[in-house]
Amino acid sequence: MNKTTITAVAFMAIMAFFPFLVDSAWLSIGITFLVFAVVAFSQDIILGRAGIFNMGHAIFFGMGAYTTAILNVHFGMEIIYTLPFAIIIPVIFSILLAGPIIHLRGDYLLVATIGFNIIFEQVLSNDVFGLTGGPNGIFGIDVVRVFGYELFSDTSIYYIAFGLLLITLLIIRNLDNSKYGRALYYINKNEIAAKSMGINISYYKLFAFALGAAIAGAAGAVFAIQYSAVSPESFNFMQSVMFFAIVLVGGSASLPGIIIGTFVMFVLPELFTEFKESRYLIFGAAMVLTMILRPNGVWPAKFGNIPKFLKKKVAKQEEVK
Amino acid sequence: MEYVLEIENVSKFFHGLVAIDDLTIKVKPGQIYGIIGPNGAGKTTLFNCVTGIYTPEKGTIKYKGEDITGMQPHKIAQRGVLRTFQNIRLFKEMSVAENIIAGTHTKSKQKWYHSIVHTSAYKKDELKNWQKVEEIMEFFGLSKYADTPAGDLSYGNQRKIEMARALAADPEILILDEPAAGLNENETIELTNIILKIKKMGLGIMMIEHDMEMVMKLTDYITVINFGKEISQGLPEFVQDDPRVIEAYIGTDDEEDE
Repeated sequence: MNKTTITAVAFMAIMAFFPFLVDSAWLSIGITFLVFAVVAFSQDIILGRAGIFNMGHAIFFGMGAYTTAILNVHFGMEIIYTLPFAIIIPVIFSILLAGPIIHLRGDYLLVATIGFNIIFEQVLSNDVFGLTGGPNGIFGIDVVRVFGYELFSDTSIYYIAFGLLLITLLIIRNLDNSKYGRALYYINKNEIAAKSMGINISYYKLFAFALGAAIAGAAGAVFAIQYSAVSPESFNFMQSVMFFAIVLVGGSASLPGIIIGTFVMFVLPELFTEFKESRYLIFGAAMVLTMILRPNGVWPAKFGNIPKFLKKKVAKQEEVK
Repeated sequence: MEYVLEIENVSKFFHGLVAIDDLTIKVKPGQIYGIIGPNGAGKTTLFNCVTGIYTPEKGTIKYKGEDITGMQPHKIAQRGVLRTFQNIRLFKEMSVAENIIAGTHTKSKQKWYHSIVHTSAYKKDELKNWQKVEEIMEFFGLSKYADTPAGDLSYGNQRKIEMARALAADPEILILDEPAAGLNENETIELTNIILKIKKMGLGIMMIEHDMEMVMKLTDYITVINFGKEISQGLPEFVQDDPRVIEAYIGTDDEEDE
């Protein structure tokens, strides 16, 4: 086992036993960390892998959260049955919203997605169709019931979030080892070369958006369960900026990078609460310094993800030398 | 079918200026077709028209009898028209093997859900893709660099990777834009031999090249372009001695002298 594997296993072990090691305040921070890590990983599919400057990722996160909240509070649907909707609705909207702008160059697309995020926030705070509850959002979301059990404790919510993180990591691993995942990298690294190899750029970019939105939507549902409430300011433009920054500060398409990024952006501020607003000064400075000193992120991604039988050949040839 | 690629009376303008003017070029399977001419003659523009990066204003381009004029680049590539670039375009941070497997994209049968769940159909397809990469790397002598980032290798090897990537797509026409540019003498000889081996596979090759020694050795037929117009075409020996060609190459020097 190499160093990275050992670090990963140790990290997963700590995360698995985390609820037994900490008090309730920390447990709640732990849940937030897991949920935001999942959202950051989903943004990493769009921004880190496909290289799309999506500055509106909070939309899909928020759509998942609001879908669960609306279906549960207004329509009395069990939380567990709202989950498929919290995934599918963001996917449909990601395709409808990104479709018309997918051909735009990076900076233009970025401005367009900011526009979408502002509209989304306005829709939520203006109580459109009387469903979103206005600026205060929606309260009183039910507990999760599975096979007659009520999962209301923070510990059970923690494990729901942890399960979602594991599923997300599994999907990303499978994505990276597939034709679709590689196509996203090719588009990011050299669009003209990708086109010339027969890759339909718009199709794969939309695929990245849809997959990212699906995962973010699922995370949104868990977020709604955790707080049993949702409100517009959790999904505003500033949140999208945070998800964007996590990917670039941590390292695009790098699993440890995204974990570090989420930790720095969401967990560290909780550790320094006594410094109040001045802590953001430090994070602002940290973001600037990272971009200057490590433009590829704190922990940049490594390529060379090839099958063993090809690696063996490399080793053999080196022996001959 | 006699021709694999038929370029007929193709013209391309940029802001009213003629970049290529009424060119007709027909490439047969198993043939190496050379396009030569002074800098700025419109050679790369022609290649960009064939591969869909530009849409020509006039004329038609047919691939195996099918009209591909103005089609999107990925659709043309999916049909079997693959290319390399004058200024190498690799996925530099990715390993050599990851670059070459890009060529298997069009033939791979993986669906969107295979990126989420790895079924047995996925495993079969993925293994096939990597075996193709293995075979191609062997052919180009690149096996030892399989996990090296493509951008870390020498210019000569990068040119080989680009060609390997295109070849992994099993093209029926291969378009090479100055394959020997920036290579030293040994690398050029090595590349010449590789291109001859590719030719034996039976595909049509179209290439732009300035290294005349290489052109004479490789090509079966040549079109000479100057200011977007065809000034000569024929067998290499004929073109080499054609006064119009000599004038095009040397004539510009005379004007500079005046």
